[in-house]
Order: sequence, then structure tokens, then C-alpha cells
Amino acid sequence: MDFLRPQTWPEALARKAERPAAVPIAGGTDVMVEVNFDRRRPEALLDLTRIPELTGWERDERAIRIGANVTYTRVIEELGAELPGLAMASRTVGSPQIRNRGTIAGNLGAASPAGDAHPILLALGASVEAESVRGTRLIPAVEFYVGVKRHSLAPDELIRAVHVPLSPGPQQFSKIGTRNAMVIAVCSFALALDVPARRVGTGIGSAAPTPRRAVAAEDYVSGALPWESRDPIPDGVGARFGELVAQTASPIDDVRGSAAYRRHALAVLARRNLAWAWKEYQCA
Amino acid sequence: MTAVAENTEVGRARLRKEDARLLTGRTRWTDNIAVPGMLHMAILRSPHAHARINSVDVSAAAAAPNVVAAFCGKDVAETQGVLACAWPVTEDIVMPTYLPLAVTEVRHVGEPVAVVVARDRASAVDALQLIEVDYDPLPVVLDIEAALAEGSPLVHEDKGTNKCYTWVFDSAAAGSGGDVAGVVADAEITIKRRYVQQRLIPSFMEPRSVIVEPAAGEGGSWTVYSATQIPHILRFLLAATTGTPEHKIRVIAPDVGGGFGGKLAVTPEEWIAFAAANRVGRPVKYTETRSEAMVSAHHGRDVIQDLTLYAKRDGTVTGLDVKLLANMGAYLGIVTPGVPLLGAFMYNGIYKFPAYRFECTGVFTTTTKTDAYRGAGRPEATYAIERIMDELAAEVGIDPMEVRRRNWIRHEEFPFGTVAGLTYDSGNYEAATDKAMQLLGYDELRAEQAARRESNDPKQLGIGISTYTEMCGLAPSRVLGALRYGAGGWESASVRVLPTGKVEVVTGSSPHGQGHVTSWSQIVADQLGVPFDDVEVLHGDTRTSHKGLDTYGSRSLAVGGIALVMASQKVREKARVIAAHMLECSPDDVEFADGAFRVKGSPEASKTIADCALAVFAAHNLPDGVEPTLDSEATFDPEGFSFPHGTHLCAIEVDTETGEVAIRQYVCVDDVGRVVNPLIVEGQVHGGVAQGIAQALYEEAVYDAEGNLLTSSFADYTLPSSADLPDIVSDRTETPATSNPLGVKGVGEAGTIAATPAVVNAIVDALRPFGVIDVQMPCTPERVWRALKEVIA
Ligand SMILES: Cc1cc2nc3c(=O)[nH]c(=O)nc-3n(C[C@H](O)[C@H](O)[C@H](O)COP(=O)(O)OP(=O)(O)OC[C@H]3O[C@@H](n4cnc5c(N)ncnc54)[C@H](O)[C@@H]3O)c2cc1C
Repeated sequence: MDFLRPQTWPEALARKAERPAAVPIAGGTDVMVEVNFDRRRPEALLDLTRIPELTGWERDERAIRIGANVTYTRVIEELGAELPGLAMASRTVGSPQIRNRGTIAGNLGAASPAGDAHPILLALGASVEAESVRGTRLIPAVEFYVGVKRHSLAPDELIRAVHVPLSPGPQQFSKIGTRNAMVIAVCSFALALDVPARRVGTGIGSAAPTPRRAVAAEDYVSGALPWESRDPIPDGVGARFGELVAQTASPIDDVRGSAAYRRHALAVLARRNLAWAWKEYQCA
Repeated sequence: MTAVAENTEVGRARLRKEDARLLTGRTRWTDNIAVPGMLHMAILRSPHAHARINSVDVSAAAAAPNVVAAFCGKDVAETQGVLACAWPVTEDIVMPTYLPLAVTEVRHVGEPVAVVVARDRASAVDALQLIEVDYDPLPVVLDIEAALAEGSPLVHEDKGTNKCYTWVFDSAAAGSGGDVAGVVADAEITIKRRYVQQRLIPSFMEPRSVIVEPAAGEGGSWTVYSATQIPHILRFLLAATTGTPEHKIRVIAPDVGGGFGGKLAVTPEEWIAFAAANRVGRPVKYTETRSEAMVSAHHGRDVIQDLTLYAKRDGTVTGLDVKLLANMGAYLGIVTPGVPLLGAFMYNGIYKFPAYRFECTGVFTTTTKTDAYRGAGRPEATYAIERIMDELAAEVGIDPMEVRRRNWIRHEEFPFGTVAGLTYDSGNYEAATDKAMQLLGYDELRAEQAARRESNDPKQLGIGISTYTEMCGLAPSRVLGALRYGAGGWESASVRVLPTGKVEVVTGSSPHGQGHVTSWSQIVADQLGVPFDDVEVLHGDTRTSHKGLDTYGSRSLAVGGIALVMASQKVREKARVIAAHMLECSPDDVEFADGAFRVKGSPEASKTIADCALAVFAAHNLPDGVEPTLDSEATFDPEGFSFPHGTHLCAIEVDTETGEVAIRQYVCVDDVGRVVNPLIVEGQVHGGVAQGIAQALYEEAVYDAEGNLLTSSFADYTLPSSADLPDIVSDRTETPATSNPLGVKGVGEAGTIAATPAVVNAIVDALRPFGVIDVQMPCTPERVWRALKEVIA
């Protein structure tokens, strides 16, 4: 196995173009598990940790551009106020050690349906900045996940950054697991209120082959909420929203939970997240 | 025998002497040890739960780079020995041959089939892929009841049955009580329940590891390093089953990183490493991966419990009938069949009632064998009785604590002969319970519970009770003999005072994290009047500690600690004679106080143990007939068991929508008798409670329909982390045991035994108004939700 260690971003892109089978490694918290369990024997590892361009983040009026190597710990500490939903999700990841090494881009690269960053990225309408020697493109999160642990990067592309819109409104994330820490989610759900647009965004995790939005639920609830009056959520709206979210999911039975439970729990999480977010909006 | 001379060390919260080493890892774990010329072994394991082995071809592996040897079971069939079960619980027990390396058939996924020995570990692991095994899959049987059904596939075809044994205790036959059949007709209340103890994996921190240095030529000897709880038993069984002379085998258990019963085992891997080292004539090391540990080291629990409790309308219990089906797995480990028997005498718990019957049937399945896991038998018993006492309370319509009070043995009734035929020497259930209820705020919580019920709060509150007892101090050898166990239950210790007055202690008890070195130093310091730091505790090497029965079943202090007191006293008595000689008086006129011998009435002249040691070393002027040594050895065989007890209470919030549970408060008041080191006791209680909570909420070994272990890593076998555990408020009452001179009872398993029913009782208590009477462990959010859904539908 070759270990490639580019020092600059252009060099990394060149290596990846030459050897599309080389597996990028950032925090290594997914890659090394696969290597250690002998599930994967890549012909080459492409170590991205030396590349200065990937370690920062920057802001404009509309979005924060998070470099590929920014860890969960840094999201929590540096971006908690501006990206509360992503910070909430980051806090539930693994353990302190994993949060110190693991990156959002790595979560995207692994594209596990259970990855904790995905639901909120979907709910916020984030996009992935992918780059290759051929150029740069922005892939909306909804188009990024294409199958179980599969994403839409071309073989020569690397993730440069994630663009997360600064959403003017409350955000929530919750997950159910078989324990509190170091757990693969049984199901998870994120929600963001885009107040100026009068829109609710959603993201479902661990309940379908890919993370997905619950579009019908979003359409329904965006229209049903009393945005102007800030009144309490009308009776039945939360429950209906939960049902629509659950209907969007297509979960499976596995050792962590049954499909029936995942659907049920998603409905509860969706209703509760909506209630919490709405309460915050009412008080704002 | 007066136990304690001085009491400045015993009872003191000393930091543990061994921790600097253990916590930094700068110590001798087996895997850290390298001996000259050492090779590395990897094991090919069966991917089938049941299959005939037609052929094994190791030739390609043997030719691989860096490989020194490759072989399969057939190649060592004559020399590899067998793995012994030391507890044939009945005369007609079915005991299959248990081979380290399978020869003709495999009976669980993970069973060792072939071996590669190479110059480095990676080469050995890589070469495993070159071994070709031709299997004919055979039908699997995983479920205990299915295995007993007519026409079930057989795990051991030649035995003609999957039934291992049926063992019965009947209080009428034993003379310790009446006949359960006799109370059935008059019972005003009859409660039948089935509880299922899921399969668990003892998750020791250090995976198992072994190094075997074979004899170098004729007359040579073998050294075996192993991460084991039982170096002495390992040595004995290696000698007995491989024909190697016992005096030629030295077993060393260096520092061992936890066991929880999982290393109370003689393992296929040890025997295979022994065979491999003999075959290649060089030292061989094997260290398992975590997943290998999970698949092949023994599992625990996996018992179906059918209980029938008989009682009067006022809540007085009149009889209990217990029927168990216990999953043995595919083979019998060292105490596999006996584990349920360790619980057989405990289903009556802290209660007095007139009639009791217990019946256990052991069953073979094509799964990893089960054996001792922290508590071994007693957690199952405690769980069953503490759960069903809550059911009785609900049936009678009184508070679950009240039903317990009406049935428990009152303080003034000790010593008490129980319906299971044991004599509980001491106890004070009232004191522990009162303290625990105050610490929890029991009455306030009941009020809050009522309010939440009233308001239909989606989060309901439950209060869980466990008023447990258990038996420790394993064990009076004659009792073990009567139960057909193969060995005794004594323990040995020796004390050697060096010329400068420093002390070496050798214990037969083999610690693997419990803090023996610290507690033993405290005991000796008091006994001999020497500083705590002047005591060195040696253990785990059969060359220094030639005699012992090792560590399990909370026995170390209650048995090994007493041997140590006895050995210390022998030294002190001898020193008294020498001191008297130096003080020119009769030994009868010498008293031992404040760490020195003094003449009664004239305390200014004194001689310390160190003075005596130097005098012995010089030997210039000893009394006539006194040998020039200040050493002693003692072996203690207990007369009876000791019975720690206590009251564990918890308050749990149950989310009735998602099924999630959160332990809000956990309070335990344990009575483990006299406390040698409160810090160590608290540590044991904390760890024990964590493991008990783990069974209630998190852990389960799950097989798929083909017999593959689905939970073979910590991603899926969900051990709780600190983030999952509540703050544990732990306190104590101290009712000294009268069964041993230190008054100690044992604390290694108490927390685990107590916690599981406390937690599940709380969950069921929260949900009882909905009609829930059980949630299958582990009570995951999904299980809780299902339990609710079933009763609401
Ligand atoms: C003990 C443990 C607990 C965990 N707990 C959680 C949890 O609670 N929630 C959760 O979501 N995940 C969890 N994970 C998984 C993992 O930590 C996360 O997915 C993390 O985000 C991966 O980031 P990384 O930087 O370590 O990725 P790596 O392992 O370095 O890479 C992951 C994948 O992304 C690819 N990749 C990395 N960087 C790039 C790039 N710039 N461009 C293109 N591809 C790239 C890699 O090739 C690989 O396929 C856990 C892992 C472990 C070991």
C-alpha cells in the first residue's frame, strides 16, 4: 500500500487525478476502521492532513465555507453560535477523541446513512465544494448522497469545503441510539426554520439507504405554521408533520433496531423538534 | 483468634499502590512481554456454527513468507490434550469431549480449526487466508427450547441428546423447608413469570494473551505466561491433561487487565499455544483481537427463568418454584454447568418463606460456551426474586418496599437458616434500606410519580428497588465437594520478614485489577506493626506462589485475606518469643501494641518486628529450639459463606413515546461487612453497578439465524460509557460477618448483582399503570416502546 502525502492542494488534486483509486484520509476515523478490520485494502492512501487550505473556515453574508479538515470539535467551539444545528449534531458524534479527529468532510466522504452531519446539512440546503484538476463545482447536499455509502464525487474529485447557509432561524437535531455516546444512530432527524422564507427544512438519518429530506412534510408544515402571529402550533399539525416525515423514510430491520420502530421514533422526533424550534421562534 | 492487632491501616482510604503501573500501562501485560526467539501464532476459526471438517490443507500457508509452521487439529490430535470441565454437577451429566483445536467437527462460529506460527504477527495473520478447509455444514440449533424439542438437530450427535443435565434442589428433601407442592392448594396468590437473562459478553479491558516457552530438551521445563485469573488451576490442568509433569510447568499471570469471570477459564488458545510451542520447539505468543475475544472467549448468563411464587393475601410469601433452562453453548468450560447452582441457593433472597424448589436443565446449542460472568448465578437469582417481589406488591396493592419488609429476615433473627439450606450469619436489611430510602428521597419521588401519572406526562417516573443479598467467600471445600465440584475452596498466604524488617507477602489469590496489593499491605501493616510501604505483595507466579486457588466469586479478601491474617499471626507469635528473649522476660509477659512488643507494665523497653527480624538473621542469640526464620505460611478453608447485602434504589424517567429511559438518580447502600479500604470498596461498587446497569439497558450478544455473532465488536455490543451512567450515590452500613475473623464479606460482584433488577423494576414501575409487567433486557428504547405497544394494542 502506498502512502501519498501531498503538501499542497494542487498537488493533492494532481495525485488524485493520477491515481483515482487512492483513498483520501483526513481524520481516519472511518478509513482506519475499515483497514483494521480488513474490509478494505486500498492500493494507496492519500493523506490530506498536511494541506493548509483545508484547515480553515470563512464567512460571507450568506454562508460559512468550512474547510474539509475542520473537525467536529472546532465546529462546536468556533461555529456553535452561527451553525447551532451542525454544532448539536457534532456534539453527538463519537467521543472526545473522535470529535478531535473526525471531520465533516470525512462524514460526507463516508456517506453512511447514519452519519450525524447529514440531516442538518440537508435541512439547511448546504452544498459540497468538490474540486479536481478539471475544475470546481458545488454539489447540493440533496444530490450528494446517491446510495448506501455512495456519493456523487467523480473518481478524481476531492472535497475542498462544505458551504453551509447561515439560516436565520432556530435549528434542531436529535437522534436515538442504543447508548448515549459512541453509538451509530438508530434514527436521527434535523430541522431548520428559515424564517424570512417561511420555510421548514428537514433531514432524516439512519432510516433510508441515504440521508434524505422529507419534502412532503416540509411543504405541508411550512404552509401550516402561523408564521405571522407566532401563535402556538395548531392542534394536529405536529402529529401530521411527524407522520409525513415517517412516511418519507424507508428504513430496514437490523441489529440496532427494526424498521417499525425507526418510523415511529422519527415521527416523535420530528414532532418534538418542530415544537422546540417553534417555541424558540415564538420567544425570539 | 483475634483478628486485628492494631487498626490504623485497615479502614483507611489508601490510594492503590498498583495504579501508577496499571494506569500508565508501563507494566508487564502478557502482550508486552517478549522472550528470546519468540514466534507469533494466529488462529483460523470456524465460519460455521456447525459443520463437519472433511479436510484441512495448510500447505500453502506453511510455505508463505516468514511462516515457521502451520497445522490443524488432526496434526496434534494425540498431543494437544483436552479442556476440562471441573464441575460435573450430576452423576448422569453429559460431558462432551472438548478439544482445543477441532478435529472432525466444529460446533460454534469462532471455534479454532487451524494455526499458523510465523516470525511476526502480521505474517501469521496473512497466511491464515491460504489455509483451505473443506466443511460440510450441519444444522444449527441456537434456541434453548428448540434444542430440547423432539427431533432437534444434535450438537453432539454421539450423545443422543442436547440435554446436559437436570439438577434439583427441594427444600423438603433437603430438610431446610417444606414441600412446594404442599403450598399450592392454599395459596391465595399465585404469580407466574418468565424472565429471560440475555447472553452477555464479559468485556475485560485486556484481551487474552498467552506465551508458552517450551522445554529446551530433556529435563527442561515450560513457562507459560497468560492473562488469566487462575494461574494455579491452569498449571494443574495443563499437567493433568497434557501429561506434562506439574513440577516442570511454571505459570505466570503477570499484570492482568480485568476478567469479570471471562478469564476464570482454561482456554483453547492456551492449549493450542502449548501444542504449537512444543511442535516448533520455540516460544510462541498468541494475543487475540477484540473480535476474537467476543466470538470465542466464553459468554455469560443466557438463561430462561420460569418462576411461580405463592403467597397470602397480606403479601406473605409461602413458596417459590424455580425452573431454569440454561444455555451451556457447544461445550462445557471449567465451571459451565455449575454457574446456575451458584444461584440455586439465592432465589429466596433476603426473605423467609417455608417452601422452595429449584430445577435447572443445562442445554447444548451451537453457540459459544457460557461460563462464569461477574456474579455467576447470583445476578440471575437476585433478578428473579427482586422482580417477582414487585409483582407481588402490585398484586397485593401495597408499596413494593412494604412487601419486602413483610417478608425479609429481621435483624434480630440472625443467624438465620434459610429455606435453601444456608445459614446467613449476619445482616441488617432494615438499616441499609432506611438509609437508602432517605438518600433517594423515596417518598418525594413517589409523590412526583403520582403527579406525573395524574397529568399524563409523556415522561413517566419509575422507582426501582433491589434489596439483594449474595453469597461470597467461595467456598467451604466440603460444600464444594458435596456439590460435586472438582476442587476445594481454600486459599493460601505466606509472610516473610526480611532482615531489614521489610515484609514480603505471597498470596495464592491472583488479582487482575481488584487492588489486592493495597488491601493486603494494609492488613499486614496492622498485623505486624510495619509501615504500609514496607509490605511487598507477590502473586500470580506459581514459582513464588506455589499454592493457591486464585480470584473469582468475590473470594479474595474473605478467604485469601483470612489466610493472610493467619500467616501474619504466626509470624507475630514467633516474633513474640524472640522479643521476649531479647527483653529477658517470658513471652506471656509481652504484649504487642503500637507496632512493638513491650513488657507488660514497663512499656519503655520495646522490640519491633524489625528488631526481631535482624536478630533472626544474625541468629547469634535465639531462644533454644527456635529456628532462625521469621516466615510463615497459612491456608484457610472457610467454614461458611459470607453474605453481603444492601439496598439499591433508582429513579428512572421513561419516555413513553420514544421508549428512551434515563436514570435520574441511583443510590446504593451496601453492607459488605468490615471495610479494609473504602476507596477500593467504592470502586468495586461503582464498576459493579455499571455492569449491572449494562445488563439492564445496553448489552446483549445476538446471533443471526445461521449462528453468526452479530455483536462482535464494541460498535454493536454496546457497553455503556461514562456518558450513559448516572452519578452513583454510594453509602454503606457495616454489619461484620461472623463467619470469618476479619468480619469481611466480599464486594467484587455486589454492585452487578444488585443493579440489574433495580433498573428494570424502575422501568416496569413507571409503566405499570399502562399494564406493562415486563420489558425484555436490555431495555433499549425499542424494547420499551414495544412493551408499551403490546399492552396498549
Ligand atoms: C469510535 C467511533 C465512533 C464514531 N461515532 C460516530 C458518530 O457518532 N456519528 C457519526 O456520524 N460518525 C461516527 N463515526 C464515524 C466517523 O468518525 C465520522 O464519519 C467522521 O466524520 C469521519 O471523518 P474523518 O475525518 O475521520 O474521515 P476519514 O476516515 O479520514 O475519511 C472518511 C471517508 O471520507 C473520505 N474523505 C475524507 N476526506 C476527504 C476529502 N477531503 N475529499 C474526499 N473524500 C474524503 C475518505 O476517503 C473516506 O472514504 C465514528 C467512528 C468511530 C471510529
